[in-house]
Amino acid sequence: MALVNLGGIEIEVDEDGFIQDPDKWNEAVAKALAQTEGIEDLTPDHWKVINYLRQYYLEFGIAPMIRKLCKETGFSLKQIYDLFPSGPAKGACKIAGLPKPTGCV
Amino acid sequence: MSILRAEEARVLIPPYQDLREKIDRALGGATLQSCLACGVCSGGCPTGDIGAPVDPRKIVRMLVWRMYDKVLASDMIWLCTMCGRCTVYCPMGVNMGDLVRALRTQLAEEGRVPRNLQKVVDLAIESGNNMGISREDYLDTLDWMQEELQAEFGNQAEIPVDKKGARVLYVINPREAKFFPLSILAAARVFHVAGESWTLSSRAWDATNYALFSGDDKAGGILVQRLADEVERLGCQELIMTECGHAFRAIRWGPEQWLGHKLPFGVRSIVQLMAEYLDEGRIRLDPSRNRQPVTYHDPCNLGRKEGVFEEPRRVLQAAVTDFREMTPNRENNYCCGGGGGLLSLSEFGQIRMVKGKVKIEQIQRTGAKIIATPCHNCVDQLNDLCRHYHLEVKAKNLIELVSDALVTDVNKE
Repeated sequence: MALVNLGGIEIEVDEDGFIQDPDKWNEAVAKALAQTEGIEDLTPDHWKVINYLRQYYLEFGIAPMIRKLCKETGFSLKQIYDLFPSGPAKGACKIAGLPKPTGCV
Repeated sequence: MSILRAEEARVLIPPYQDLREKIDRALGGATLQSCLACGVCSGGCPTGDIGAPVDPRKIVRMLVWRMYDKVLASDMIWLCTMCGRCTVYCPMGVNMGDLVRALRTQLAEEGRVPRNLQKVVDLAIESGNNMGISREDYLDTLDWMQEELQAEFGNQAEIPVDKKGARVLYVINPREAKFFPLSILAAARVFHVAGESWTLSSRAWDATNYALFSGDDKAGGILVQRLADEVERLGCQELIMTECGHAFRAIRWGPEQWLGHKLPFGVRSIVQLMAEYLDEGRIRLDPSRNRQPVTYHDPCNLGRKEGVFEEPRRVLQAAVTDFREMTPNRENNYCCGGGGGLLSLSEFGQIRMVKGKVKIEQIQRTGAKIIATPCHNCVDQLNDLCRHYHLEVKAKNLIELVSDALVTDVNKE
């Protein structure tokens, strides 16, 4: 665990860079996390995905299936992978402030 | 030697006696005393001297000197990826992978498995898969992929679920259903074109078994038994594993260790099955659809541990135009750096990147743009490494390349 400055606030992240306290997440934190994933500018398309992930996580406590993500945002799988080059788990979920998913990711 | 060991056994206090028995069982023919302290193992460890040290010789020597508490408390036990490269060179055959797992078994019994690894095992036991995916969500994703399959091949093409009497039960890694379902579609395309009689399961569909890494023998047995029961329930003849190194190792090595007997049916990797389809002419590939240079990474569990070296190479030779071997390879291959559960151990996320640097240099030397590997864990670690070291190479499973090159009635000239 390390304390890092993301978007102007001190926040704890694990060694894979996932924030530990989802309550501390805000848009500035998301922008800072996006930079760590090599995404310089978050476009409206990015935000559409991020906001859905965030809302789903707050409701159910886990990340949604990519099936749901595509259905709800209207993006194809390819569009999601293109938007987040490090993938839906390590890219999109991380930026949306979700914990690291379990398993081979 | 036996007198010495008997003497030791007499003076060890019970918890250590128990550990000692675990170690002896794991080592089989060799013993800790077999170790000549030559250090060839430490020299063979791919990344033991990079970043946080992992020193196999030191682990053995400390155990010989009965420094049990210190060994069990050492990060080395969790940083070792149990890749087995050290053991290839050991003149006395002291199997470090099995030894480290025996130590983890002790720690699992004491409730000392790192949190992030334990979580994966617990979730698999409680929910039926290591990502906690609901049955409804899993089936919905299969339906989605079936729609894609039918869009290409028509309504008779299907992704069968719980089809009794199918020849093959195919089991997947939950990350495929959750985040990367195109590999399920790729497998379905290959099965369809090969005319295979196959099915997925709605109940026991998770191939993975993280108890292989955590050391929890009881959980390992439960997870292996679930798959065995499902093969029996559906009346399948063969269990085919997705491209997942540890899952393959767990189902091949685990039954005798955890259940006390072999499985009454065959188990193969889908890579082996694809090689067979090619040999028998059941599928044809057009390599010109994969023109980028491709190299191959041997997953430790599939290669060094289970001897699957040539089938994946045969498949790649048929699927791509420019296949390039990485050096070293086969028995001498370097671990991706994320094995042994390390990928899940966020406790060591940064060290995982540091230790992967040599692997990146090996990939870079091939000039390949794609690194193919039949292991989801390796794929993720290799993609993490490529991003971390700014290498424009993409790691993929073999099925993706095979599916792209697959000649079908629909797409042939």
